[in-house]
Amino acid sequence: MFAMKNKGRLPLRPTAMIMYGLIAWFVIAFLIYPNLNIYYEIFFSGGKFSFEAIEKLLRSERAMKSLSNSFLLACSLVVTVNIVGIFLVLVVEYFKVKGAKLLRLGYFTTLIYSGVVLVSGYKLIYGETGFMTKVMSAIFPSFDATWFHGYWAVLFVMTFACTSNHVLFLSNAIRKVDYQTVEAARNMGASTFYILWRVVIPVLKPTIYALTILVFLTGLAATSAPLILGGTEFQTITPMILTFSKSVTSRNLAALLALILGIATLILLSIMIRFERKGNFMSVSKVKSDLVKQQIHSKLGNIIVHAIAYFLFLIYVIPVILIVLFSFTDAQSIYSGTLSLSSFSLDNYIRVFSSLSAFKPYLVSICYGAAASVTVVAIALMASRILHKYRNIWSTMLEYALLIPWILPSTLIAIGLIVTFGVPRWIVGNSVLVGSVWMLFLAYVIVHIPFTLRMVKASFFSIDSNLEDAARNLGAKPFYTFRRVLLPIILPSTLAVLALNFNGMLADYDVTVFLYHPLFEPLGIVVKNSTDPQALGDAKALTLVYTVILMIMSGLTLYFVYGRRSKN
Amino acid sequence: MKKKFMLLTLTLVLAMMVAACGNKSGNGGNPAGSNAESEGGQAVKNEKLIVYTNANSDGRGEWLVEKAKAAGFEIEIVGAGGADLTNRLIAEKNNPVADVVYGLNNMLYEKLKKENVLAKYVPAWASDVEEGLNDPDGYYHGLIKQAILLGYNPDSIAADQAPKDWTDLWNNPEFHGKYEAPALLGQITPQLVVAGILTRHIDENGELGISQQGWDEVKKMYDNGVPMVEGEDPYANLASGKTPLVTIVSGTLKSKTEQYGVEAGTVAPEVGVPMIVEHAAIINGTKKQETAERFVEWLGTAEVQGEFVAQFNAMPANMKAVEKANDEVKNLYSALKAQQFDWGFLSDNIEQWVEKIELEIKK
Amino acid sequence: MITFKDIQIKFGDFHAIKNLNLNIKEGEFFTFLGPSGCGKTTILRSLVGFIQPTDGQIFLKDKDITNVSIEKREIGMVFQSYALFPTLDVYENIAFGLKVKKTPKADIDRMVKEIAGKVDLNDEQLAKKVSELSGGQQQRVAIARALVLKPSILALDEPLSNLDAKLRVQLRNELKDLQKKFGITTIYVTHDQEEALTLSDRIAVFNKGVIEQVGTPREIYNESKTEFVCNFIGDINLIAPAIIENSDLKNYVDPHKKSYIRNEKVNLSPVAQREDTVRLKGKIIDQEFYGLYTKYTVEVIGGGLLKTLETESGSAQPAVGDEIDVYINATDILQY
Repeated sequence: MFAMKNKGRLPLRPTAMIMYGLIAWFVIAFLIYPNLNIYYEIFFSGGKFSFEAIEKLLRSERAMKSLSNSFLLACSLVVTVNIVGIFLVLVVEYFKVKGAKLLRLGYFTTLIYSGVVLVSGYKLIYGETGFMTKVMSAIFPSFDATWFHGYWAVLFVMTFACTSNHVLFLSNAIRKVDYQTVEAARNMGASTFYILWRVVIPVLKPTIYALTILVFLTGLAATSAPLILGGTEFQTITPMILTFSKSVTSRNLAALLALILGIATLILLSIMIRFERKGNFMSVSKVKSDLVKQQIHSKLGNIIVHAIAYFLFLIYVIPVILIVLFSFTDAQSIYSGTLSLSSFSLDNYIRVFSSLSAFKPYLVSICYGAAASVTVVAIALMASRILHKYRNIWSTMLEYALLIPWILPSTLIAIGLIVTFGVPRWIVGNSVLVGSVWMLFLAYVIVHIPFTLRMVKASFFSIDSNLEDAARNLGAKPFYTFRRVLLPIILPSTLAVLALNFNGMLADYDVTVFLYHPLFEPLGIVVKNSTDPQALGDAKALTLVYTVILMIMSGLTLYFVYGRRSKN
Repeated sequence: MKKKFMLLTLTLVLAMMVAACGNKSGNGGNPAGSNAESEGGQAVKNEKLIVYTNANSDGRGEWLVEKAKAAGFEIEIVGAGGADLTNRLIAEKNNPVADVVYGLNNMLYEKLKKENVLAKYVPAWASDVEEGLNDPDGYYHGLIKQAILLGYNPDSIAADQAPKDWTDLWNNPEFHGKYEAPALLGQITPQLVVAGILTRHIDENGELGISQQGWDEVKKMYDNGVPMVEGEDPYANLASGKTPLVTIVSGTLKSKTEQYGVEAGTVAPEVGVPMIVEHAAIINGTKKQETAERFVEWLGTAEVQGEFVAQFNAMPANMKAVEKANDEVKNLYSALKAQQFDWGFLSDNIEQWVEKIELEIKK
Repeated sequence: MITFKDIQIKFGDFHAIKNLNLNIKEGEFFTFLGPSGCGKTTILRSLVGFIQPTDGQIFLKDKDITNVSIEKREIGMVFQSYALFPTLDVYENIAFGLKVKKTPKADIDRMVKEIAGKVDLNDEQLAKKVSELSGGQQQRVAIARALVLKPSILALDEPLSNLDAKLRVQLRNELKDLQKKFGITTIYVTHDQEEALTLSDRIAVFNKGVIEQVGTPREIYNESKTEFVCNFIGDINLIAPAIIENSDLKNYVDPHKKSYIRNEKVNLSPVAQREDTVRLKGKIIDQEFYGLYTKYTVEVIGGGLLKTLETESGSAQPAVGDEIDVYINATDILQY
């Protein structure tokens, strides 16, 4: 009846005290301290603040153009990704579409590869020597082979690349729609699409809001797609931030640009939080019935939906197929975009696995990924629990502190850690963390906290608070309640987040390169080194080989923590 | 059953995590040099060395590990790009992991020297190195020479039609839209191409030490070229004819030719080409100074360098090893002149130049 | 058995419970009745331990439990949403509290089976997921889960709301039967006066954080102590002042107070005429047929409207438009 709870007077248990202490230490030592420190070092080094960086940026036409392009891209993506993402989820989960299981596998492909390789995959189809371009040129002899670049190309690729979270989290949400409400609406004479628009989508709104923030962030931080496909006319700001953050002289520009993006993110975040508060659609029915897939009654509508669904399926699947096929060929075949049986061989794979030492990076990356993703989830769980339990100034501060990494690009976070922990600091026991194995672990944890918190918190808050009360009423202590009652409920979505984080860490380069321990070289570094265009080997083919290996690893991870469950 | 599986996975993950951490803390920041046992009765310290380099790809690292082993050194090679490696060494200066660094160019070594990352050590072979390549202060000394070349596809551009210098690319409308502009300024090679143009117009009173004419030249270079794209191999664009004029690092010329089936022609400007030299140096604060010194002594000898250049088609800095280099390499270098650079000046200014180009010049 | 002494509960500025004193006897079926927001759930949750009173004490069997933690109070609770654990099956839900207490496995099995039998859940249902049960079955699981721990008190927070009318009546009866079977002190929170009247031994009527009246259902109904109680319970007529002024009623009642009379106490025929019976003249302007009885709305001449209930007697019934006499016993009038 009252949302407010008055549990504050119950004595704090020692375990809880330790937990709060640990969280506070972590937040102060690794989220607030290094990130504030980097800004301090950048803007106040030498004891005086300078406006030089601002002037420089305002003077630069290119920087301003790139910045506005980034915002244009982020806003466009919010629209296109939501449209495509919602459509995908409806096809797989809501409408009766033939072959939905197969379609789903296709739509899931963005979960197993990303970044440069994904964009390169699309380039294999639409680039100058790509399949589509060849077809078009054959039909229209005057067709411009270099058509695939600029805003539309970037938007096209990124729209399809960024639906991963929709496919994962929106599917979960739509399964929770109470089917009785759909039946009720139909009973009142509503059409299929009216029901969809007025009954189903509103229930999905909280999830859509959360996903919108993620899409916006991804759009702002877009790197590979604009770099590769943007051409001179559509460059975005993140590549510039990356370049600047690596150079000591230009770091202030990087930090300033990052700050602008960060503030934009914060504004969007607070708008979304207000939206969320306005419309909290909780299911009120006691006895829910499971969603039954909807037949589209209009024949034409049905055909159109099927056609679009399979068309999208092709868009998703063809790059993956081509990457796998071309990974067996050589650089020349890849560049000319030709597949011939004679160029197929296992040589590339043999080269990658030629020595035993080739396996060590996999182990290192798996260890780091596993350790960091488990830690991130653990922190997010603890924090969500605190946020769920208390609503006061401290919990608000905790929430915002945990979102700090969202307002900084990951490279600056890495540099902040280096600058801060390159000398002994009392907060970490007077040790120098730079050069130790902990740096990379910490960075992975820090970078992935906001996303994880956002997702874990959402599922935490969707739990009926009576469940916790009921468990305590039955005699269970808080931790037991957490373990036996709350955790099992949020485990599926938590594991999905864990898997996503793990996959993201497996092949990360941008953060890793600053922080990895030289004796424990992670996969991302090995991949980058051996696939650098300057390298002598067949770099292009090796890139594809590593991509295929990473796809398999990511696919397996997802299957183990996610695929098995969604089958029941 | 399902729950048990999840629990098992989680336990496994946690166990791995603990194991990984245990492994890490066991090794500590600096891997213990347990190989201190004396060899053949000699009381020589022979600890395992951590060697940083940007020149280990394509089997060069493995080759060196093997050779070093035969000579009684145990080394572990850590490879990364030059700029990243430099940043890493600066970051780690209070807790150094590396003992030796080789392969970086003068510009980066100057940066390291300024950050106090290097230890001063002059090996015996320093005097065999070609005049003017070593650090006069004695911190780093030359191993391999690399020329940064302007290459062209002879199928698209006949040898007598080819540009004579970089500046022809933008001053001759013939080449507009046909050459690759060094846009990826996070990398060292494009930086050096730019430096090669700018340093022709040094002017104390100009912006960032460069005269307006210099900046105009660079602007024209970006305005009329095709920017390099992340993830693409420039040589592939040369071979396909998309941009028949690209930058090539001399050491890669032979293998790229084999890979793409096109042998690029190279341009020999009168002013010379940016010639980078890969050096070797010892890290300040290494706990294995003695072993590191012996290793550097061994690494730069004419014998080792000679074998290396023969194997990898390179050009040595050590004059006694030049005769071992392959003929084609020797021919290439005989036609090339090294452009004169003040590396200290370059190292001091390159980041600001890059910043200005990124902000005001690049499209 | 349970004593609330000087209980105050505040949420910030909001005074949810104002100085509450109450005794509940052993074995009683006691109901907290009131509109939403009246504080009835708040006081129940403070008894169970989810809310700490700002001031005052709660005694259970003469022991002060005000500061005893939730899990040590041994009060079984059934939630409005039942709060069954969705990831556990029915059996595990019922066994949950026993497992927490580290009861031996064999004992758990025996006790779960025993309680399941009493609430009519068979083995097949025990193996099901809770989401596969009907609303009624879910309620029985929730009750079994609370009762298996043999609590001294069972607290039920609106367990029948959100259910359809027929199921509600059926479950109400089941609930009453179960309470009799176990003889357990039961505290029941509801806003439904019918539920409260049919189920309870005693009722406390809440309004704005205070108890308006405590008493048996009959007392509450017939001798409502406050205007709020009489209005909240059952259907009642507010007699318009004009009716009183223009009739003999003015001889019996205080015209400065509001006068109420229950619908069924307004008669269309002079049954058991007494000395204080007053006759009014009126016209029927509406009727609603309920099967067992008919509800008439009468417009009293020179006054206002009165509603009356007439059981079907088989004889000719008055119809809309008929002019009739209306009889009221002045002693049936409640004044506030």
